[in-house]
Amino acid sequence: MTVPILFACLAGVLVGVSRQVNGRLSLSTSPLIASFWNHVVGFVALSILGLSIGGLIPAGAAQAPWHAYIGGSIGVIFVAAGSWLIARIGAVNTALLVIGGQMVSGVALDLMQGVSAGLLASVLGVALILAGMALTQRRR
Amino acid sequence: MTTPSAHRLNPLHLMAAFGTGGLLTLMVHFNGELGRYGNALFSSWAAHGTGTVAALVLLAILYPWRSRSEGAKPRAPLWSYLGGISGAVTVMLTSFTVNSPLALSGTLALGLAGQVIFSIVADRWGLFGLPMRRPDRRDLAAMTLILAGSALIILFGRGEA
Repeated sequence: MTVPILFACLAGVLVGVSRQVNGRLSLSTSPLIASFWNHVVGFVALSILGLSIGGLIPAGAAQAPWHAYIGGSIGVIFVAAGSWLIARIGAVNTALLVIGGQMVSGVALDLMQGVSAGLLASVLGVALILAGMALTQRRR
Repeated sequence: MTTPSAHRLNPLHLMAAFGTGGLLTLMVHFNGELGRYGNALFSSWAAHGTGTVAALVLLAILYPWRSRSEGAKPRAPLWSYLGGISGAVTVMLTSFTVNSPLALSGTLALGLAGQVIFSIVADRWGLFGLPMRRPDRRDLAAMTLILAGSALIILFGRGEA
């Protein structure tokens, strides 16, 4: 159990590393150019991995509907936005506000799909997140 | 150079970051769907490939409005081009952990912890060439509220996702 715990924490750290490094590149280029390099380099790295362990293109891939393939384009905007934000509001604010937005929109997506498991905890969680965001906006 | 964080955040930046979190939800949703037809590696590989094309198209469309102040910017160090490696390793790690006893909720919760601890260290020492920032007491209170709310949603709110 120790290995999965370490890996899951490390994955979170690497999300931060990636945003920090892309943010630095965007200072010298632009957020969109940083996002472009992030995707090219990631694509090459995953191609090498996939070709070495095999199974890069699974049989079911052709059956996937077209909209399953738009995540990558959304990711370009996501990485560009993160690179733009981190240089302006810092790593902590970027991480917390993006996490907050992800959680609140995730609950909204669940509700739209008719998933209402754990509704009370979700509503309470959304309230806490919005309160935290309001706190960053209060003048001292 | 320490940027005092005493002034309030620009509301535009706050809304942009919050909206970016919404983009992440959509991205995870679509990439997850692709992963169900193929596998996690294929989904991430395809997302990086289509993303590369999308970025090129956007750069071409925005070319007439590109920044002309190239000379004023510092040179990018070679390592700053390698952020994508970090993203590729993240995919490998999480596709392992979601299939471990941690499942999706454990992966999300621990990943959130790792991300927040790294961001505190990164701001404190200005890691990877970005400005240093020190949180004040109100920043810490906001952090506590947002993390508590996120933990509630991940661990008890979204069921057996």
